Amino acid sequence: MKVHLSFDRERTTKPIISTIILSTGVQINILRAKVDEAGGEVLVEIPDAEAEMVMDAFRSMGVKVHVGRHVEILRERCIDCGHCITICPVEAIYAESDLTVKLNQEKCVDCGACIDSCPTRAIRVMQ
Amino acid sequence: MEIRRTVEEINEKIERGDAVVVTAEEMTEIVKSKGVHVAAREVDVVTTGTFGAMCSSGVFINFGHTDPPIKMDRVTLNGVEAYHGNAAVDVYLGATKMHPEKMFEYGGGHVIEDLVSGREIEVVASGFQTDCYPRKSVRTTITIDDLNQAILCNPRNGYQRYNAASNGRDELIYTYMGKLLPNYGNATFSGSGELNPLTNDPDYETIGVGTRIFLGGGIGYVTGPGTQHDPVNGFGTLMVQGDLKRMSPRFLRGGSFTNYGTTLYVGLGIPIPVLNEGIAEKTGISDEEIKTNLLDYGVPRRSRPILKQTDYAELKSGKIVFRDRSIHVSSLSSLKMAREVASTLKRWIEEGTFLLTNPQERLPLQGTMKPMKVVEETLFARHIMAPAVTCHPDEDLDTIAARIIEEKVNHVVVVTPEKKLRGIITSFDITKAVALKEKDLSKVMTHQVITASPDEPIESCAKKMQKHDISALPVTDIDGIVIGIVTSERISRLFGEYR
Repeated sequence: MKVHLSFDRERTTKPIISTIILSTGVQINILRAKVDEAGGEVLVEIPDAEAEMVMDAFRSMGVKVHVGRHVEILRERCIDCGHCITICPVEAIYAESDLTVKLNQEKCVDCGACIDSCPTRAIRVMQ
Repeated sequence: MEIRRTVEEINEKIERGDAVVVTAEEMTEIVKSKGVHVAAREVDVVTTGTFGAMCSSGVFINFGHTDPPIKMDRVTLNGVEAYHGNAAVDVYLGATKMHPEKMFEYGGGHVIEDLVSGREIEVVASGFQTDCYPRKSVRTTITIDDLNQAILCNPRNGYQRYNAASNGRDELIYTYMGKLLPNYGNATFSGSGELNPLTNDPDYETIGVGTRIFLGGGIGYVTGPGTQHDPVNGFGTLMVQGDLKRMSPRFLRGGSFTNYGTTLYVGLGIPIPVLNEGIAEKTGISDEEIKTNLLDYGVPRRSRPILKQTDYAELKSGKIVFRDRSIHVSSLSSLKMAREVASTLKRWIEEGTFLLTNPQERLPLQGTMKPMKVVEETLFARHIMAPAVTCHPDEDLDTIAARIIEEKVNHVVVVTPEKKLRGIITSFDITKAVALKEKDLSKVMTHQVITASPDEPIESCAKKMQKHDISALPVTDIDGIVIGIVTSERISRLFGEYR
């Protein structure tokens, strides 16, 4: 499952993810990471079976954990122009044979690059 | 025997319910498989459709009079300013007028969508007080039903075809052709290709003044050629109008182009009567035959460089080949919605609720599309650039520091012996190097240099420097050779001399 991790400023320089990978032995896949003045945001993928245990480990080290935040296309606003398809860096957005634009949640890394490209503002981050 | 029929004959068939109507995509298939003669014999009407951002759209609104009456001076609808230079309570709301705070997120196009959706709109108007119009202000809430008239009026719609866009700059840009990734990272286009109205009637034999059309889900009319109508170069346009009260939000959608502005997506469909084989042949046009150019929108000039010629078949395929690379390309208009427009119009005609018209006058086959006359001199980077003070990557910092003093500059451009750009070093970088006791040029210079092209407008140079918080741009030619430098000092001096 995909899990968003928020690190505050003090924790951005600490090797928290590698510590947890070593201590739990779980293969955590880093999909996206960003650091700025507010701290760090990392999107990771954790095998479902170990997810709860790994999330507890992050929480115990002071990392905020969010599950369920994801990018979504609002069907009632989308006009199926397809502009977002050209923007997506991981090819998660595609057009079906009838030209309906769809988002593959499995591939999406929630980077949000598509959001400001949408002329009808049909792409949102859902909590 | 040659096939000929009139609009009147077709209308009689429509009223009897036995007219054969196909969409332009279906017609292309029929002409391909059965030939022009059979297609002309079998098909009475071809419906076209397009659904794209049409920035020239707007709506004329008449509010009715208040008591005491007001001669409106400034008017906003949901905070978006409407143009009031007409009679007391008439305004024109343009699709691209942005809300002053919400900017790209809400503008005239969105107000039009809200109106046609029946939502409540806040109207605030101030008045110019006269003896006959004493009221000074009014604030109220209306819906479209409260208006006397709401007439969608678009001076330029239905472009015959349009350019495709990509971006050769090394930075992301936001344009009216959408979000364009650096270094030709993606491409966009607009238009429905073989479904486009004028493309199916390129000699304007059936579409003219007075032609009844599908507009925004309701009925509209062609009122004449559109602005910038340029048929000789294959860029014909239409001016259209229709009753907004009878339109549908499905086919009129507010649009936002980040860092550019707002617009209105308009569904436009035109029926083409198959009067003879010539028209049948023209409506058989396929995407492969509709050529257009891929332009570099990274060059902020009126004439943008042509990167390659392409056609709508390649554009609609989702990938375009450029410089041996396959890049993602998509439409900004909606082909899916264009199909819905053409098939809805087809259904209306089949059901007998939409009859065809003879144009009262043909659209001109010649047009005028010339640049604006500008009497002031326009300045580009090459006009204000100074010769760049340069150094080589292996020079030591002391020599470069001495050159900065000697030449009285703040920027030294690092170049190869062939004058190819390698980096830039500023007087501040030297100061920092001294403070940190760093001796190596490559450790203190900037390697990723933001540059300008010689034909870049100075406004664009100034914007780049402000965006990246820098004070100089080396000017490089197409081969990456440094030919000068534009500095913020030179730009400020220029404006200082003018004022």
